[in-house]
Amino acid sequence: MNWQAVLTSMLPEHLLLAGIVLLIVLDLVSDRPRGALAVAFVAVAAAAVAALTLALDGYMAAPFAGQFSVNPPTLIAKAIVLALVLPVLLLSRDDFADLRFHLLLLSSLYGVCLMLSADSFLTLFLGLELMSLPVYVLVLFAFQRPDSPEAALKYLVLGGAATATFLMGVSLLYGGTGSLALTAFGRALGSSNAMAQAAVVLIVVAFFLKAAIVPFHAWAPDAYEGASVPVTAYMATVIKAGVLLAAARLFATTPVGRPMADMLAILPLASMIWGNLAAIKQTSFRRMIAYSSIAHAGYLFFAFLGAGAGRLQAVLFYLLAYGVMNLLAFASLPRNGDDVAGDRITSLKGLYGRRPFAALMLGLSMLSLAGIPPLPGFVAKFLIFKNVIAAGYTAYAVLGLVASYLGIYFYLRVIQYAFMGEAAAETGPQRRLALSASVICLVPAVLLAVFPGWFIERL
Amino acid sequence: MAELLNIVLFLPLAGMLAIALLPAGRDALVRQLSLVVMVVQFVLTVVLYANFDGSVAGLQFESRVPWIPGWGVYYQIGLDGMNVLLVLLTAFLGPLVVAGAFSAITKDVKLFYAMVFFIQFAMMGTFVAQDLFLFYVFWETMLIPMFLIIGIWGGERRIYATLKFFLYTAFGSILMLAALIYLVWTLQSTTGVVSFAFADLYQVRLPLPAQTLLLGAFALSFAIKVPMFPLHTWLPDAHVEAPTAGSVILAGVLLKMGTYGFLKLGFPLFPDATREFTPLLMGLSVISIVVGACLALVQTDIKKIIAYSSISHLGYVMLGLLSLDLIGIQGAIIQMVSHGLTAAGLFLMVGMIYERCHTRDIAHYGGLAKILPVYSVFFMILTLAAIGLPTTSGFTGEFLVLLGAFNAAWPIYQAGDAFPLTMAVGAVTGVVLGAMYMLWLAQRLLFGGTKAPHLPITDLNRRESSILAILVVAVFWLGLFPQEAMRKTELAARQYQQMVAGTAAGSKAAVGVAAPESIAARGGTR
Repeated sequence: MNWQAVLTSMLPEHLLLAGIVLLIVLDLVSDRPRGALAVAFVAVAAAAVAALTLALDGYMAAPFAGQFSVNPPTLIAKAIVLALVLPVLLLSRDDFADLRFHLLLLSSLYGVCLMLSADSFLTLFLGLELMSLPVYVLVLFAFQRPDSPEAALKYLVLGGAATATFLMGVSLLYGGTGSLALTAFGRALGSSNAMAQAAVVLIVVAFFLKAAIVPFHAWAPDAYEGASVPVTAYMATVIKAGVLLAAARLFATTPVGRPMADMLAILPLASMIWGNLAAIKQTSFRRMIAYSSIAHAGYLFFAFLGAGAGRLQAVLFYLLAYGVMNLLAFASLPRNGDDVAGDRITSLKGLYGRRPFAALMLGLSMLSLAGIPPLPGFVAKFLIFKNVIAAGYTAYAVLGLVASYLGIYFYLRVIQYAFMGEAAAETGPQRRLALSASVICLVPAVLLAVFPGWFIERL
Repeated sequence: MAELLNIVLFLPLAGMLAIALLPAGRDALVRQLSLVVMVVQFVLTVVLYANFDGSVAGLQFESRVPWIPGWGVYYQIGLDGMNVLLVLLTAFLGPLVVAGAFSAITKDVKLFYAMVFFIQFAMMGTFVAQDLFLFYVFWETMLIPMFLIIGIWGGERRIYATLKFFLYTAFGSILMLAALIYLVWTLQSTTGVVSFAFADLYQVRLPLPAQTLLLGAFALSFAIKVPMFPLHTWLPDAHVEAPTAGSVILAGVLLKMGTYGFLKLGFPLFPDATREFTPLLMGLSVISIVVGACLALVQTDIKKIIAYSSISHLGYVMLGLLSLDLIGIQGAIIQMVSHGLTAAGLFLMVGMIYERCHTRDIAHYGGLAKILPVYSVFFMILTLAAIGLPTTSGFTGEFLVLLGAFNAAWPIYQAGDAFPLTMAVGAVTGVVLGAMYMLWLAQRLLFGGTKAPHLPITDLNRRESSILAILVVAVFWLGLFPQEAMRKTELAARQYQQMVAGTAAGSKAAVGVAAPESIAARGGTR
């Protein structure tokens, strides 16, 4: 084993691990540990910078052959996922002074990073579980409303179902091919063997469960609503990104044939339609975002209909635009003591009168999520649908675009409340960290809107 | 000079940022700054217009910079005969919109002028864009500021109206997006060229069924914006609920986006399908003319009358474009500008009386000529311009369109098909109806017993009469000296005609190219 390769290629993971160890030490030595946020922030930022630097150097290595490998695209993906966590950490200040939150978050993030470099189903499974287990706890963590435990339990049970489905698929695959390498999935995708096809379907269903695709979406609204704002933001962006990027690793560049392509089109299409329609009647902001994220998972899975070469690029660009804008929305939300009341969409009424900047940011993020140009969400959607049409699935693309139209209304409703409503009750003081989180999101959002070409070339 | 067009395009954006950076509470400063920026933009546009050479084919003041190189998307803008007048119109209305809102908008002044600049930027961009991706981005961007302008500063049912406006127009755009991707992909897969440039896309020759579907998608989007019957129902709501500035922007420029879209993209990109469906589209145009006029006749809300008259007047534009006769096409372009001027003026005037009396119900008014003489004179001039009295711009536009429609229809009639001729005759009834509803409105408003919701009311102040005087000058300029404007657009109109009609030898196509004499010469003999 080449130690230098292990050290360098896993540098982002090592930095996260260092952060985790430091947090544990901090917990041991002090009764009322302070500075947990700073430690976590520095660890994640360092990991993101490390991943980006390695990617720009064109670093490639496989320290554990057949299990774990890095190359520039995976490092870029890691850097994006890690960078998305920075605003989440800044947001968490008001909800969690507790060190254990940061510990769990970093552990989950370690799982995501592992997953993005996995070469075999073993590593992938390890990463998937390491990513999910802390989140089950986080949903319940410092719960503020009576239904949080129920939400966490629901998430846990369905997460368990996803794990079981995944393992079943993998064991079928192993039974058929005798290999745990991810490439076995690509071969099974093109095979007409019934066992291989069953394996593919089971594994895809597991990913659908994790990404909340209709009809496997029922956990998401409850979990999002029951969790606190930073955890919801983490689930909606980073977890979703992790699952989709893992799927992109699984599908790689294998062309998707007809029967599978229909499954990959129809269920995400159903997610878009149902997610967008169900979001209309929600009164809770986080529940609405949950349905919105169900729809967005649908668009994201559409990327796999496209030709192999453009998939990762489309998924990455989409996740970047979607993640940044979603976090911008969470950072702009006004907060008051009562979580249930503060989460009502009607509490946004008259936000522009109270907090012009927050209202403008919220408006921008809603328009971007709706896919209205010139915001980044539009280019992201365009990229995906362009690939779908280029792959010959014009009908699915048209249906997908019409489904995305259904989503415009409920995003506009948020803007309507924020800008056109009479002012609701005054909220608490301006929070500086949340403000800095929205600036952290705004800068890439503007860059994505003005220079999309620069990003697309580098993804 | 190419930089000048970029400056004209981005000046509103700079104005928006400047306003955003101003401290809160400096409303007067915001208003003055907005006016100055808009005036500068107009002056620069006039320089562009004066330097625009109508005898040169192709783009002028062109900029072309890679934007998304991997997809062949360029930031490509330029002026040609199709958009030069509309760019001028947009820049011309900018200062008037800003000045017209000085007293009407008192809430969130900063945000309001920022949104006016934003929409000015987006409208300018839509007109000058020469790349389909860029065009689509600007086209959709326009919805955002308009959504806020109607929704924040509008009337009682503003939320309903603005959501209806957004959702209607966004639906058309979604299908256009699918069509656009398909079109570009077809270009790529057949020729290997990866490009969104209009000039490249004109070269794509699709089979008729594909053309029909794509034209349907583009036409849906454009027809909603025009708006053409039966897709017009968002317009009265949006107009009535919008603040005056919103109505002026909507009627003055935004509606022209639809007809400009047909002129620049819809018809030239899909000529075979256009010729195939000309009877249907022509029929809808004439129905728009007549139905719009009839609906205007029965309204009791002044603003609704003007709103429905817009539907009618833009029907002429569509008729002119579909006639494929050079005179008709040029008439359509003139009519776009003319309607932009008269409708903007009338909406401003409705806003002025509404600011004084807080009602738009005609029944509350009467005999304003006695108490508001200056107002009445301007109202009368704009009314006459709207119904197309000679010497006003309305006459030039409508007359040329009708002349073009008859020119095109007559040979077809002689060949045994009476449909186009029937349509042309039908369109003439719109002129009569137009005179009826506008004159009746003027009569009820200005003449008869003196009546107003609360007296005394003051006549126009200097700001208001200056705005209207500038508009009236423009109306007469276009009415008395149309040749000047038509020389700049003639070549583009001819190109459009060749692109849509000239590809296949059919009876309609033959008619289209059968008018080679110079328009300026014909105009002179009139």
